[in-house]
Amino acid sequence: MRLRRYVLLRILQLVPVTLVVIVLNFLLIHLAPGDISIILAGETPDPAYLQHVREMYGLDRPFLEQLWRYLVQVGSGDLGMSFRSRQPVFDEIIDRIPATLLLVGTAMGLSVVVGTWIGARIARRPGSAVDSLVSAGAVMLFSVPVFWFGLMLILLFSVQVPILPAMGMSSLDGPREGIGRVLDVAHHLVLPVLSLMTVSVGQYIRIARTSVAEVMGESYITTVRAIGFPDRRIVQHYALRNALLPVVTVLGLQLGLILTGAVLTETVFSWPGLGRLIYEAILARDTPVIMGAFIAMSVTVAIASLATDLVYAALDPRVTL
Amino acid sequence: MALLRLPDGAPRTPAIVISLLVVALAVVVAVAAPWLGLPDPDAMEAIPYQPPNARHWFGTDNFGRDVLSRIVWGTRLALIVAVVSSLASSILGIVLGSISGYFGGWVDGVMSRTFDVFLLIPTFFLVLLIVALFGQGLQYTMIAIALTTWPRSARIMRSQVLSLKSRVYVQSSRAAGASHPWVLTRHVVPNGLAPIVTDGTILMGFAILTEAGLSFLGLGDQNAVSWGRMIFEGQRQLRIAPWLSIFPGLALLLLVAALNLLGDGLNQAMNPQLRRQSIRARGKPPVDLGPPKAEDAGAPILDVRGLKMEYRLPKGAIRAVDGVDFTLPRGGSLGVVGESGCGKSSLGAALLQVMAPNAVYTAGDVSVAGRPILKDGQVVRAGSRDAVMDIRWTRVSIIFQSAMNALNPVLTVRQQLMEAYRLHRPAEDEAAAVARIEALFDLIGIPHRRMTAYPHELSGGMRQRVMIALSLLHEPDLVIADEPTTALDVLIQDQILGEIDALRRRLGLGLILISHDMGAVAETCDRVAVMYAGEIVEIAPTSVIFGDPRHPYTRALMGALPTVTGPKRPLETLAGEPFTPTGDIVGCRFAPRCAMATDRCRAEAPAPVAVAADHLARCHYARDDARIPA
Ligand code: SF4
Repeated sequence: MRLRRYVLLRILQLVPVTLVVIVLNFLLIHLAPGDISIILAGETPDPAYLQHVREMYGLDRPFLEQLWRYLVQVGSGDLGMSFRSRQPVFDEIIDRIPATLLLVGTAMGLSVVVGTWIGARIARRPGSAVDSLVSAGAVMLFSVPVFWFGLMLILLFSVQVPILPAMGMSSLDGPREGIGRVLDVAHHLVLPVLSLMTVSVGQYIRIARTSVAEVMGESYITTVRAIGFPDRRIVQHYALRNALLPVVTVLGLQLGLILTGAVLTETVFSWPGLGRLIYEAILARDTPVIMGAFIAMSVTVAIASLATDLVYAALDPRVTL
Repeated sequence: MALLRLPDGAPRTPAIVISLLVVALAVVVAVAAPWLGLPDPDAMEAIPYQPPNARHWFGTDNFGRDVLSRIVWGTRLALIVAVVSSLASSILGIVLGSISGYFGGWVDGVMSRTFDVFLLIPTFFLVLLIVALFGQGLQYTMIAIALTTWPRSARIMRSQVLSLKSRVYVQSSRAAGASHPWVLTRHVVPNGLAPIVTDGTILMGFAILTEAGLSFLGLGDQNAVSWGRMIFEGQRQLRIAPWLSIFPGLALLLLVAALNLLGDGLNQAMNPQLRRQSIRARGKPPVDLGPPKAEDAGAPILDVRGLKMEYRLPKGAIRAVDGVDFTLPRGGSLGVVGESGCGKSSLGAALLQVMAPNAVYTAGDVSVAGRPILKDGQVVRAGSRDAVMDIRWTRVSIIFQSAMNALNPVLTVRQQLMEAYRLHRPAEDEAAAVARIEALFDLIGIPHRRMTAYPHELSGGMRQRVMIALSLLHEPDLVIADEPTTALDVLIQDQILGEIDALRRRLGLGLILISHDMGAVAETCDRVAVMYAGEIVEIAPTSVIFGDPRHPYTRALMGALPTVTGPKRPLETLAGEPFTPTGDIVGCRFAPRCAMATDRCRAEAPAPVAVAADHLARCHYARDDARIPA
């Protein structure tokens, strides 16, 4: 019962974030130089479409009424129309989610596994030369500009030693279904995932290192050492289990950065996901899509932070709801 | 730099030094750009597409512009973005965070919620939107970065203010009639700046990367040379002129990494806890004595000779256990008493080789039932396995001070006992483990249903009982109980001690009871060792220690015992500071606090004196009854 109340309460906390984002959006449109109807409809020679947009947003109504209309409209999931495709922005975004999810999900999953593994390993000997080197390396990793790293990967693995594709999600003449299709996509996935991983893997190495080292200093670890568990098993089994909590927290906090990385990575590799959509929208000055993406990304990040809290509560028995 | 005054002893690590150099180089290059004698970054004069050569170190681009020169000028833009946006962000954060923390109450409630909301807005997407709406310009990029990052410094400032607010000088200046803004700017803000500056360096790196990403999408400032823009333009020539992309990216990586490493290093320097963690001492190498020999049934369960263990700290070594000898026969019980910090808990951990990572043995032999586990301060091994592994928990177990911390908070009692049971008896099945655990629970008086509880769901006394059950799991010969009752209230303390004593007699257990409480030891142990500054200063049968103590320190401890007339005084009320065994020690360690110290005491360290066959005291005058006033 208490759990349900807690979940409900936390979901309610999404409301202020969403409100702030929508209002910010609205204010920015009104502050921007130029005719609002042109911002929203694009430079169109079609006066009927212009009129349609004016009415939809109530552009001839008083300011506050416009704000209210906008809130209601966005709140009900209507993010406006892309004037490039004349499709609802919402649908455009939904269409692109699977590709981005594949890229971001794979990169994040691998980052967590690889980063935590490395971090836990170096935490066994804090202060050693290997630890200092790897820790500094981890800082370097999250200082790498993703898009540049992507280009360097292309240079190495598609130009110098052409073994991996540099563009798109599948080959034009590749298999359309079955295991062949999966392999083809996986082949295309390698470089984008590697480049996107630089955003997060360094963070996970550091978080895992710090929290494992911290947990290793706890009394209950001394207890299991005294009981006779071998060191290796203590790190893998006990320290890691307790240290995973902070890793989970970072997972949520990192999402904004990872989505940013995804936009840049998708641009470099022409990956047909959300990032690519945003890039195309920028090139075409398709403002409604950019606004929609901003709202969608903000809400996603807020939901991720909420999910993080819930997972944290589920993992740690000490959290009483 | 005055703001960055590092705490004393903060490490000037290679990472900090190198990053400072890189950042300094970037600043110099950016300021001196016009006078470096480089070609105009926008001049399209050279032959296009030249690979790096003697005249153009980094080559030329498709328009015949010099890449090195463009990178140098790009440094300016990177630094401007870094400084302006992080300054704007910090100032906004400092102002709002201070207000929130200083006024507290509902103001704080509303404001800290606002911080949380703004932190969730993804910077890059807001930047994209602003640039799409307002046009391409550096100022918009910087505004957007500041707008989404200020809550970081606001949060830091808020907590700084909250903690500083309560300190006396702020309150006294309020009492003296100073106004709110004055108090804030004069006292609170300067104190909270250090962590914000640290965070600011990391923020600078973030700002540079954000601007570069934006320029890479073609949305940067059109009129300035930017590294991101260079990569954007270079990517089309990636195949024919890779140097156009490689060098600006390297510059980006170098500067951002330097800023991040710097922020990280400063963070560690300001956080002593992070630093302490990284100390790991290397002791003597282990010694391989071959396969363990057969157990000697006549040998005492524990034999300790000249055991020395020290903690390595940045300021030097503390010799926490400094030459301890004793022997415990099978089924015997020894109380180890002393003030906190005398080394008694370190002794307990040292016996089972479970000390902190910065602790090392420097000398001594320890053997359990005749088998050596430590020889000349070297850990004994057989093959790749430490000899101590054969005795942990099956022969010797420990009950730790606070069961709250000694049990894993995220595992149930059952899981922890079960895993410990199956570690040493992998062949047995779950039912056997449960049967053993239930039998122990009955023995100690824990209801079976408590097995599925997490440690935090149990009362203090129950938790300690679980710890006792855990220690008895594999029927050890010896249990080391390190202050088993400290965290409990008095009534439960007596109960638990009584239970330990009863169990010991019933199971024929050996016991080492480590305690600061002479009374507890008197009831439970046959012999008592009194520790001071890493040494056993007196050891004798319990009745002798209480009836005829010879060391002045032991006598002082007795004075702290409850008497019929007076209330119980804790040990800590002994006059003077406990002695810390570090560096060269001349004379008796107790001399500074000893009422009867003489010149001889201050010049010459006393050796243990045999008062009787079974009674040693480390005092020059231990045998000299006349000299010791009762
Ligand atoms: S040797 Fe001297 S100073 Fe030390 S305990 Fe004995 S009398 Fe006191």
